[in-house]
Amino acid sequence: MESLGAFVARRKGDWEKLQQLLAQQRSGALELGQLKRLDSLYRRATGDLAYAQSFFPGTDAHRFLNQLCGSAYGSIYQPPRQHWTAVRKFYENGFPGVFRAEKRFVASSAMIFLLGLALGASVVLVQPGGAELLVPARMRQSIAERRMWTDDILSIAPANLVASAIATNNLTVTIFAFASGILAGAGTIFTLVNNGIQIGAIIALCAREHMAMPLLSFIGGHGPMELSVIVIAGGAGLMVGQAVIDPGDLPRRQYLKRRGTQAVKLVLGCAPFLAFTGVIEGFISPGNLFPGPVKIALGLLLAGAFWTYLSLTGRADEVESSASKSGRR
Amino acid sequence: MSAWSPRLDVAIPERVSLVLPVAGIGFRSIAYLVDALLLFLFWVSAYFLFSLVLSDFVGAFLGLSGVGKTLAIIGAFATQWLYWTLCEVIGRGQTPGKRLLSIRVVSDDGSPVGVLQSSVRNLCRIVDFLPFFYAAGLLAMLLSRENRRLGDLLAGTLLIREERIELDKYERAPADGTSTPIPAAAEQLSPADVELILTFLSRVQELTVESRDRLTAALVKRYGRFLSDHEYRALLASRQSAEAFLRARAQPRA
Repeated sequence: MESLGAFVARRKGDWEKLQQLLAQQRSGALELGQLKRLDSLYRRATGDLAYAQSFFPGTDAHRFLNQLCGSAYGSIYQPPRQHWTAVRKFYENGFPGVFRAEKRFVASSAMIFLLGLALGASVVLVQPGGAELLVPARMRQSIAERRMWTDDILSIAPANLVASAIATNNLTVTIFAFASGILAGAGTIFTLVNNGIQIGAIIALCAREHMAMPLLSFIGGHGPMELSVIVIAGGAGLMVGQAVIDPGDLPRRQYLKRRGTQAVKLVLGCAPFLAFTGVIEGFISPGNLFPGPVKIALGLLLAGAFWTYLSLTGRADEVESSASKSGRR
Repeated sequence: MSAWSPRLDVAIPERVSLVLPVAGIGFRSIAYLVDALLLFLFWVSAYFLFSLVLSDFVGAFLGLSGVGKTLAIIGAFATQWLYWTLCEVIGRGQTPGKRLLSIRVVSDDGSPVGVLQSSVRNLCRIVDFLPFFYAAGLLAMLLSRENRRLGDLLAGTLLIREERIELDKYERAPADGTSTPIPAAAEQLSPADVELILTFLSRVQELTVESRDRLTAALVKRYGRFLSDHEYRALLASRQSAEAFLRARAQPRA
């Protein structure tokens, strides 16, 4: 058997060359010849690692080889580079595809949200005192004074920030609805019910105070789309929750990873739509520039287009590929 | 090496198992603080830059139209969230803070993280942060193998440490000349023993004089059982000869 010192002395040159080629590869300047050399050096280094593992375990030479092969492995087996075409493909196929594959989660999320909505609304309609619990004091006051609190926050200068705070609040709710699914789905359900109750209570209170039309004309433009996004993010959260509770035949950590990377597609896919609603919320919703019914129609139209896009885009490919799959079988 | 530290074991297609050291809570917390500081400095300098250009920053902001304001706020929000994922994807698993601490996010099969995995683990920061300052994340790290916070569990990622390991100590030539020749009867040292001697010799400069002499004596005693009492004492008389003896002992014999 070769001694440790002699082993290191004999192979060190190759290892250093490999390190140098890896650094070069990271900066993106490798020629074909060098690439081939990188490959063969990597394979020999893994051989050296196996040798060191058997004969010199626990030595620095062994740990050095672990590090070297680890970083080379990362470079050689990296996933193909993502191009902008991948983004296009994601919106043509990936995002709507995941939505359709997981629609029962999105449907459950919508049910939970609507349940909260009904709960909040019925509490306020049946027991008016309930509004004191469910609607913030400032909103109650302006509703009582027959003013829209949204006019308020948009006309007084320093409170201006509140409108944008609403926009970022929606983003936070969306992210939280997804991420809190890791708490066995409890966080997601809480978020959905909580938001449902609040919105339901506000709508019911406005309806009782004959303020329904001003409210609807404010939220009509952006509301339907925004709630759609939150419901979809809730669906992603429920996917995660289901994976935590019932991983099926796979080890939990493997199933979690698989479902987590699937669920996040729903959230990432929604992001641009949410940003777009933010623009509507800042530009079209406040003030009286557009009449209420126009805003409501616009909001419903946008949300309708969004759901149609999710249900239909890329569907033909799916049918085709599943047909060809079953044909091959 | 510490008594026990979590490791990531990966079976790679070349039919060996890679064993990579997992980064602990300390490393990860410091890396987070560095990143948080960077973001903070970014906002502070952005604020001052804008105040230089626009005399009245807050006034100018409030003067923006609804769209402008919403876009500005959403932009700031996105910066805060995208920073992590962009850095991890472009920096091959390393944000600036992680780079400074030599730790790297990898998938649990050892491969670099992609956009989806990185997004999952970073979106989950909002839950790991609960109920205050990453308490949930820290708790998850304490309870999980491989120090994973909730986001890592969902994304199937973890952080590994990249150590810089020097191989120089294996190469230093034995001091030529006067060292005691090693008799052929002396037993061959195991790789672990050779490693011990070489590691000691590569670190003698950092030791205090007393510990250096004490450890040298102990090592000479341990690896010089064939020495007579007289030889032993003669060797220890000078530090140089004792260390030369150890170096020679660690060398393979033909």
